Amino acid sequence: MTDDTGALSIDFLVGFTIFLLAFIWVASMIPGIMVGLQSYTIDYDAVAYRTGVILVEDPGWPVSPPWESFSDFQKSNMTRFGLAVSKDTPNILSQDKVNRFFCTTFVYPDDYHTRAIFGDYPYGFNISLKDAAGEYQSVGSITPLGYGTIRRIVKIKGPSNATIGTGNYAKYPSFYNKTENVTTHVFSFLIDNPRLLDDVKNPAYQIDPAREQLTINVTDLRATITDYPTAVPPIENMTSTIELVNVRVYKKEGALYSNVPLPASEYPFVNGSSTRVTSMPVPHTDNVTIKLTPYYFDLMKAQNCQIYLALGFNVTPPSTFLNNTQALPDFNNLDAKLTFENVNTTPFNYNYEVENVTQPHLRDAVLEVAVWSGGG
Amino acid sequence: MKNSDGQLYTIEGLAAALVMLLTAYFVINATSVYTAGDTHITDMQLEALGTDALRVMDANESRLTGSPLRNIISNVTFTDNQTFGTMFGNLINSRTNSAADHIQFSASYSYRSDLLNPVVGSMFINASRNLSGGEHAVRATKWVIANVKGDGLPGDSSYIPGFSPPQNRSVLVEVLLWRD
Repeated sequence: MTDDTGALSIDFLVGFTIFLLAFIWVASMIPGIMVGLQSYTIDYDAVAYRTGVILVEDPGWPVSPPWESFSDFQKSNMTRFGLAVSKDTPNILSQDKVNRFFCTTFVYPDDYHTRAIFGDYPYGFNISLKDAAGEYQSVGSITPLGYGTIRRIVKIKGPSNATIGTGNYAKYPSFYNKTENVTTHVFSFLIDNPRLLDDVKNPAYQIDPAREQLTINVTDLRATITDYPTAVPPIENMTSTIELVNVRVYKKEGALYSNVPLPASEYPFVNGSSTRVTSMPVPHTDNVTIKLTPYYFDLMKAQNCQIYLALGFNVTPPSTFLNNTQALPDFNNLDAKLTFENVNTTPFNYNYEVENVTQPHLRDAVLEVAVWSGGG
Repeated sequence: MKNSDGQLYTIEGLAAALVMLLTAYFVINATSVYTAGDTHITDMQLEALGTDALRVMDANESRLTGSPLRNIISNVTFTDNQTFGTMFGNLINSRTNSAADHIQFSASYSYRSDLLNPVVGSMFINASRNLSGGEHAVRATKWVIANVKGDGLPGDSSYIPGFSPPQNRSVLVEVLLWRD
């Protein structure tokens, strides 16, 4: 007798087979489901952290001349963006580096991706900085949902600068006004790099022209002209003509002086203009701003040398004027040794005297890095 | 004898399979697993923030001024405590482009009270909120050289309690940080 007890029915086989196939399909999806359960921001957080460390704790590469001193045409020389003043001063950022990093001439995201974010994955990112005064700077896209982030608290080192004006002239008339009524006047500065690096060792407070831009403002030039209305022709500071003839630069290495050409990229700013003059002499000069970049100091290999800057002026009619230098034999054929080692020459010393130079000052700021997927 | 006891019919099998699969799918998909990886990331972010804030507070504003943190530790009075709280709170809660954060903190410092017979003491500085014990707090520390060259006479607050004679001393500033 045929007994079918225990036999599997076709219905059951079909149903169980479909179930197994569906189960296998679902099981194969589980790894993908788990990816969703894990924190998708872990990678972005790590990249944001890495970028934060690079920006806040690293001065970037190259260091000397610093990457920020290269122009847009020399962008290929910039290997890594870093905003720290030096590797020994984490969390203290350089104002020059910050300005260059957030400049509008860099291309987002390509320029930043290869120098600050790194990696092959096309991350999207936003880097922002706000200082204690509320000044806000940022680069990148608007942050979407689901991004990784890091926030770093920093200080920004403001640059040093010197402003010479009526206050100085009134306080030390014999220092700023050494001559009688003549046409040609020379005012000189001394940037004593070895002393600057030796007197203050901490890079956070150091004045280092090879790393940070140096600014000298010479203002109120007319105030140095003494009125003499009865002279022939009459001398009146409001009507006198002041011409900036040239700026000459001398490097003292050991006991030897050498004349270093001033490239057009280092020419001064006059009369409050935001662009450098394109040629000299400059007629009708009321004030002069000298901004020397670290790139220039590197170019003339002056990191450990004394640098003398001499500003030559022609004043018409001949009168007293800003003058602290006895230029020998004359400004256009100046013998540096005779001129600067002369008892009648007392160059303005750009040093750590607070009376002469506004010292570097640190201010609080916060930097945020946000990273996400996509590169958009 | 043939009957249908114990048989699973196709339609019921399919339905059961679908119900089970859909249930499993929805359960797995809806479960939020807070992995250990997430925790350590947020801890790291808080710790970096606290360390940065202490580092920044220990930096002089210029070559001619002292470090705010060092000054506070050297002259711990009620006013200095408030100064620490305000400075530290502002630093850790400041953001670049949105409203301030809501990170809480509790700060203290530890010191050795005597060179010959060292006893580790601890001084509370300031807290934005009292610790209840349930917070998931992280710790940020900074060694500070406190300038404690006061005369040690009554009324002189410029020395660490119990330390005689007053002199420069390394103290460990410790801050616990947590989010509400």
